[in-house]
Parts: sequence; structure tokens; C-alpha cells
Amino acid sequence: MEAIVRAKGLKKYYGKGEALVKALDGVDLEIERGKFTVIIGTSGSGKSTLLNMLGGLDAPSEGSIFIGEQELAHLNSEQATVFRRKQIGFIFQNYNLIPVLTVWENILFPITLDNRKPDRNYIMDIVQFLGLESKLDTLPNNLSGGQQQRVAIARALASKPSIILADEPTGNLDSRTSNDVVGLLKVTSRQFCQTIVMITHNPDIASSADRIIHIEDGRIVE
Amino acid sequence: MREILKPIPVLNNRIFRQNKGRNIVAVTAIALTTLMFTTLFVLSRSMDKNLVEMMFRQTGYDAQVSFKSITPEQIAKIAGRPEVKEVGESVVVGLGKGDALTGRQVEVRFADESYAGHSFSLPETGGMPQQKDEIALDTIVLDRMGIPHELGQHITLEWTADFAGEESRISEFTLCGFWEGNESSYASMAWVDRTFLEEAAAGTKAGLSTNDEAGAKASLITGIHMAQVSLYEENDIEQTMDRILADTGLTELEYSVNLAYDPGMNRMKTQESLPMYLGMLLVFAAGWLIIYNIFQISVTTDIRFYGKLKTLGMTAKQLKKLIYGQAGRLCLIGIPAGMVPGYLLGYLLVPVLVNNLSVSASASPVIFAGSALFAAVTVLISCMRPARMAGKVSPMEALRYNDVQGVKRSFKKRSGSAKLSALAWSNLGRNKKRTVTVICSLTLGLTLMSAFYAKNAAFDMEKYLSGLTISDYQIDDASSEEYVAGYDPYNNTLNDVLTDKVNSMEGLEKTGYLYSHDTQIALSEQTIANLQGFYTQDVLDFWGSYDPAGPESLKQAIDAKQAGSVIYGADGIVLDAYTAPEHVQEGSVDMEKFATGRYVFAIAPTAEEEEGRILPTVSVGDEVVIEGKSYTVMAVVDDINPVTEGAHEGGHTDRFFLDFILPLVAFEENWPENTPRKLFFDVEDAFIDAAQEMLDAYSAETGVTLSVTSRASMSAQYGRETRSSAVIGNVISIVIALVGVLNFVNSMVTSIVARRKEFAMMQSVGMTKKQLCRLLVYEGMDYAFAVLLVSYAFSALVVGVGIRAMVEGGFTTFRFTLLPLVLCTPVLLAFALLIPYLCFRNIEKVSLVERLRMTE
Repeated sequence: MEAIVRAKGLKKYYGKGEALVKALDGVDLEIERGKFTVIIGTSGSGKSTLLNMLGGLDAPSEGSIFIGEQELAHLNSEQATVFRRKQIGFIFQNYNLIPVLTVWENILFPITLDNRKPDRNYIMDIVQFLGLESKLDTLPNNLSGGQQQRVAIARALASKPSIILADEPTGNLDSRTSNDVVGLLKVTSRQFCQTIVMITHNPDIASSADRIIHIEDGRIVE
Repeated sequence: MREILKPIPVLNNRIFRQNKGRNIVAVTAIALTTLMFTTLFVLSRSMDKNLVEMMFRQTGYDAQVSFKSITPEQIAKIAGRPEVKEVGESVVVGLGKGDALTGRQVEVRFADESYAGHSFSLPETGGMPQQKDEIALDTIVLDRMGIPHELGQHITLEWTADFAGEESRISEFTLCGFWEGNESSYASMAWVDRTFLEEAAAGTKAGLSTNDEAGAKASLITGIHMAQVSLYEENDIEQTMDRILADTGLTELEYSVNLAYDPGMNRMKTQESLPMYLGMLLVFAAGWLIIYNIFQISVTTDIRFYGKLKTLGMTAKQLKKLIYGQAGRLCLIGIPAGMVPGYLLGYLLVPVLVNNLSVSASASPVIFAGSALFAAVTVLISCMRPARMAGKVSPMEALRYNDVQGVKRSFKKRSGSAKLSALAWSNLGRNKKRTVTVICSLTLGLTLMSAFYAKNAAFDMEKYLSGLTISDYQIDDASSEEYVAGYDPYNNTLNDVLTDKVNSMEGLEKTGYLYSHDTQIALSEQTIANLQGFYTQDVLDFWGSYDPAGPESLKQAIDAKQAGSVIYGADGIVLDAYTAPEHVQEGSVDMEKFATGRYVFAIAPTAEEEEGRILPTVSVGDEVVIEGKSYTVMAVVDDINPVTEGAHEGGHTDRFFLDFILPLVAFEENWPENTPRKLFFDVEDAFIDAAQEMLDAYSAETGVTLSVTSRASMSAQYGRETRSSAVIGNVISIVIALVGVLNFVNSMVTSIVARRKEFAMMQSVGMTKKQLCRLLVYEGMDYAFAVLLVSYAFSALVVGVGIRAMVEGGFTTFRFTLLPLVLCTPVLLAFALLIPYLCFRNIEKVSLVERLRMTE
């Protein structure tokens, strides 16, 4: 299988001397296209740092990351932003929906920022699949947590990214809703042929993944 | 079908609707800024307009070019040129004469409508004369002649065809038209018909349409043709005229370009409007300080939101668009909202500022376009930094941001007792830029207020008046200011009836008479040496710069060893003024010896106080021979302008003069026929108004217009003239101070609101409500103290150094004062106390747990 993400020798250090924190300390990683990968690890192990770097939100102190053929280090901040909205879908623990935009507008937001014409049928398929048809004109604050996260999933899928990165998407949800959301995420990604990398603390969710990456103290301990 | 999202405009609209509080503050700030720009624009435009208008009035016409002597054939040639829009023609008949017209030049002329119109002398009621016995006059002449403003009135006009005014004639007319006269123009026109002109010209030696040498020599003016030319093009008037004259072969013709079209006028306009431009600069500074602060706070508060947008793929450019979009929307409301009251304020201020009723507030589109542009540019520049900050936000940092800029801070160990106050102080330092912006904004307003106040307070009315008058009242002979015909020493404005009235007036303290006589004196070697010593090349150059004929007249006087001389006879207040120690430049005054009549005072321009100075007149102790009698020079005294100001006999202006003062008795012995030229008198304060009433009554009774100068009217006039700058200065500084207060309030409120969660955290670990309230009040107080400290220091510097230097040398007595600042101090402290308290009350409405849960 072809690798969509290739990371080599990733290091991220903060501070100096005694206060030196090694958030990542030499991570090598390949993630295959179409697979559902889960990253697990304790608090402060470096999982979020790794995910943010894969998404181009944060830059490593050392090492390189390729998404497809693109090396992220070669992008300036503006190019990285454009790359991100074209190639990467994010799902955050706190949903990161824009409170002043409706559900429909939130889903379309990254595409329209890119001046692309949205694929209406494709997006309506996702909306239907996630059961959001009746909520399209609602503002996010009027939705439950599970519904908000489903909007975030729809938004991440809508732009047909190369990869979807999810940072504890169920962290703010109760266990039943969590299972629903993760289930949906898995099914949709398969349905729409998406690659997913997800951070989670939930062992049930982890066990259903195609692959589990375990991080401790900034290193992979598979 | 669902609409495809246009992300930036939609976000802009929705964010805008969400930020009501910020919008109100920002719109107010933008409106205030625009208001000031608009007012200043209205004022400067109106002042420009007024200046041109005044220039037109002074030159007497508004066409571009005038010919003082030209023939009808030449006029026809010029009028045929394509560059020429209009040519107005006028022919002089003579000059009005008679007691009623003394002191006002009245030119009897024929003119076509174009000429009359461009000379601001087209009849507003009735029309131009059509018959030989018709005449059109202005209201000034009618009033002087005591004729009611009605058509058909019988007019008897005494006039002369001779510049010297020797042969005069009397003609009878019917009033066929009149118009509002303007005192500031140099002369009044009396329009007559062409038939009258032809008849009058026939009676003169020169005849009509010949401006020949004989006529000119006889100073005959009848028949002189004049023309005013209006061109299509207002630029390069001289080149155009030269070309026209060259093409028509009339190069020998002399013309003059209207001073109002002179390039120098633009310089004058700029100079006149300079305070306005400075005001605009200050408004820009104040506007920038607050609008910048509002956007900075807004972006800081919403930085996580911008970070989120960036995470989702919004580029820096798009983020900036978002900020500018907000600014644009605020401008759309704020600018029109400020323009309307700004124009009204300007409209109200114009009459105060411009002492000319004919000029109303200009409504030129330039005002609105200009002030809108200036305000928009101010807003744009103000949100440049905040926009860049929003654009540069890193998605990672946005998640961590909490109102501290990446400043490395060292924590000192503090004593335990003053924890709250220390915390409050360090809280101010958390956002240094914001604190500095607010302090600058308030300091700017407060310092300006102090500076304007100190400048106005430094003005010393007594000093100012002493340069203009030496007594409570001064009455001049009507011919004293007749610069064309000259002072008439036998004129009888100050006759016995009037002087008796003054002398018998209740409350009269002291009088002083001034007589004058023009003569010539021989210059001694010593005097010539004095003159040559004083008038160095530098002094001559400077003199020549404002009076080109001056240095030449001096040279002629020295060559001929003879100069013109005005001999003044004076007593009472006048002699007191000259012999006051500060006015005696050389020699010592002994009034008893002076009274013998064998001594004179020499008048000389005030020289700089320095050792070995040379005074440009005779030396003390010299003998001066005046019309055969010899006098000893007792002292050299200053030239006191209110006394010596006036015309020479015969209107001479091209001669060099050395003037002397004789005691009145001695003067009257020499020239017993002369009548008083000026009468000065002081009255007790309680009778100041009564004196004016007495003089008014005299004028009404006798129909003689008196030239009265009084301290009261001078001081009132000064008030009128300077009210403008005082009003503008105060309005600007008050608005800027208001902007500062708005900035202060906005900063405090937002900084407290932004930290609601933080306060909730402090409370959750044991801070009591009372302690929180105290913390907030301490913060406000610290803020106020910082502002006051900087403002006092800065104002003291500006007033003590800047204003002191600025007012030096004028009619001022500098006093150090910071009164406005002292008055503002309690107001500011009250704000600093009240705002945190109100914010605290507002915060407490929301429960602790809810506040802790707040996400942003």
C-alpha cells in the first residue's frame, strides 16, 4: 500500500537547559492511504504535538514530513495554510465550529475560502449520511455536542482532503455518543475513501482501528 | 438550492452584528474624528473664500486684470481676443467733494454694467443711469449725505475734475439706483450716464478720450478710460496678458493683475489655514490612538477565533480582509454620522471665525470628500497593525493566548502586605502597548487643553492696548487719515463745541491735545552721521522689503541735507506718554524747562537697548532750527503710534521725515491758525459708557461722523478677532480629551471583561468579592495616576517651555498655569473609581461556576 504520510526523525523541543521539554524525540512514521490509524498515549506523551505537525499547524525542530509528494517544511506559513485547507481535514476535541455561521456554511467554509466550487451532490450525500439535513440552517450553539462533532466531520470530509486528522474527537462526548460518532467517522471514511489519523484515550475505539500507534515520552513504542 | 457561501462577506456581516459594544465605541470614535475633520475643512475652506473675497473688496474688483489708462480702441482690440471672456469699461468724471464725504473717496464715473458688476457696485435696487441727470450711489455715500435709501431722491453732488481738487462744481441728480456699500473697499463709486461724462469732459481742457500729457500734468482726471478684463483661464494670467498685448501690438500698455489672483495668495491661504492643518494633524493623532486601541483590543480578544479560522485554512490575506471589512463597515456608519454634526459645527463657527457677514460656510463637495477621505485614512492606518497581528496569528499560539505579549518578565519578591495593589500594578503592565496608547491619548488631550488655556491666559490686554491707544478715548480730526488728499491742519472736526462738551463732561480725569504742522528742516552733519550710523545696509534692506521707496527717500534727504518734519504740539496725556521713563530713549526730561518753549523732544523709532546705540535723529543737546526759530533738543523719545499715526499734509508719502514735539503753548504761538488734530481723554471707569453716549449723541445731533478710538471698543474688537482661535483651540482640545476619555473607558471595560474567567479562577481559590472589587479599583486608580503623572509632567514641559517661548514678545505676560489639568484631575479619578466598580457589579451578575465554564 502507498504511504500518504511519511515522517522522518521528527523532533520538537521546547525551552532550554533544565527546562528543556522533549515533546517529540525522534519519530519515524508512515501512514497508508485509506487506513484508519489511531494514536494512543498518556497525557503529555506528545500525541497532539505529532498530530499538529502532520497537519502543518506546528513545525518540527528537526526532521521532515511529506504529505503525498509535498514536504511541509518547504511551505511558508501562507502556503501551509492553503495546503491545509486543500489537503487536510481537521476534527478537534472542541469541534472548532464557527459560531456565527450556520451548519451548512460551516461545512462549506474551507472550500469557499479556497474559492473552489463545492461538489453539492457529494456534500449532500455526506450530510444525509451524518443525519444533518434538518439542521443545516441551525447555528452550532443550538446543537448538542454529538451533533456539533458530526458537523465537524462533515466539514472535514467536504473538501475531499488527502487525510483527516482528528484530535480526541470524542473527548467532550458521553460514551454512547462517542461510539456513534466514531462509528460514523469510520463508516464515512470508508464510504468516501478517506484516510484517518485519530488520537483517542478510549481503548474500545482504539481496538477497532486498522493500526494503532502508541506514543510515550515523545517516542513511538509500537 | 442552497446559497454558496461567500465566506469573507458573510463572516464580516455576522461578526459585525455580534460586536455591538465594540461597534458603538468605534463608531463614536470615528464619528468624533470625522466631525473634527469636517469642521476644520469647513473652516479652512471658508477662510480661503473669505480671504479671496476680502482681497476682491480691497482691490475693488473681481476681474483678473485691470487697466488704469487705456483708450476705447485698445479696449476693442483686447475684447476681440479669444482668451478674453469679458471687458468692462469705465471713464472717470471726477472725485466727490464736500464735508459729508470727507474721509471717503467717492469716484464719479461712467461705467458699463460689466465694470460696475465686477467692481461690486452694480445697483441692487434700481439700475445704472440712463439719463444725463441720473446717478447711482452706494449706501455709504447716501448715509453720509443723509439721504434715505429710496429711488428718485434728489442728490446734490459737489465734485472736482482735478486731482488736486481745486476747481469744484456742483451738479444736481436724481437717484436711479443704489447698492450696499462696503467699508473695506478703498472707494465708493458714483455712477453717472455717458451724456453727463461727455458734457463734463467738454468743459475741461483735455477733452474726452485723450489721456495726453497735458491732461496728466494738470492732474486732470476727467476722461481717463479704465478697463477690467476677465479671462477664461485663471492660471498664468500674466503670460496670457503679455501674449494678448504682444499679439495686438499694445505692449506699451500697463496693466495690473488683481492681487486676489496673485500666486502669493495661495501662500497666504496656506498660512491662514495653518492652524487648521495643525488641528487636523492632532485630530489624526487622537483618532489613531483610539481607533488603533479599539481594534487592537478587539483583535486581541478574538485572537483565538482568528486562530481557529487560520486552522481551518483562512490565509493571512483573508484574515486582514476580515479586519478591514469590519473597519469599512464602521466607517460607513461613523463617517456620515460625524460629517453632519461636523458641518453644522463648522457652519456655526464660521461667523465666529470670519468677521465677514457676506461669507457663509462653504458647502463645497471638497469638504465632504476631504473629511471622509481623511477619516477613512485615519481608520485604515489605525487598523493596519491589528490586521497584521490577526494575519500573523499562528494557529498553535492562538490556542494558548491570554493577553500577555511574549514579553519575558521577571518576578520580584514583594512584601506580603500590599499584595492587591502590587497585583493591580502588574496587571497594568500585562498589556504595555494598550496602557501606553491610552496614556498617550489622554495626555494629548489634557496637554492640548492646558497649552491653549495657558496661551490665552498669557495675553495681557493692558500691554496690547498700550500699543494701540494712550487714553480711554481718542478722537481724530476727520482729515487725519486722508492719505490721498492729505491732512488738513485747519479742518474743524475737533471744534470748540465738541471740545467744550468733552471738557465739561462728568468724570473727566485728564485730557491731552495734539496739533501738527508739516515743515522742513535742515540736517546738521551730526544728524547725518546719526542717520548713516543707524541705517546700515541690513536695516535698509529690511526697510526696503516692506517700503521700497523708503531707503531712496532717506538717500535724497541726506544728499539734500534736508528732511521733511512734522512738528507736534502736545500737552496733558500726550506729553505724559512721551515723557514716561520707558519711552525716553536718550536725554533727561525736565518739564519746567520744556514748558519755556525753548526745547523740543525728537521722535525716533524705538531702537534696541544696547550700549553705544545710535538713534536715527538729531542728538540730545543739538540745536534745531524750525521755521527760523532755534530749539534745543532735550530728549529723544519713542515713536508712539496712536499719537503720530496719520497722513501728512498734502498726502506726501515719499519724503523722509524727522519729527519733533513742542509744548502746546509754543506750538500755538508759531501756528495760531491750526486746529487740534487729535484729542485724548481719560474718564473715571464709571463714566466710560457715558462718554461714549455723549460722543454718539454729538454725532447724531450734528451729523458728523467722529473717528473715535476707545479702549473699550479696542478690547471688544480684540475679543472678536481672537474669539475664533480661542473657540477652535478649545473645541479641538475638548474633543481630543473626550476621545482620550472614551479610550480610557473602553480599555478599562474591555480589559476587565476579557478577564472574567481569570477573576472567577481567583475567586474560586479564595479571593473575596470585596478583594476583587478592590483589585479592580486599584487598577483603575493606577491607570489614572499614571495618566495624571505623565500629563502633569508633559503639560508642565509644554506650558513652561513651549508656551512661554511662544508668547514671548507679544502683548503677553506669561503665567505658569495648569488649571484645566487641575480641573480634570477629579473627573479622571472619578472615572477611574466608577468604571471598575460598575464592571465589577456587572461581572457579579453571572455566577462563579458559569464564568469558570466560559470557553473563550
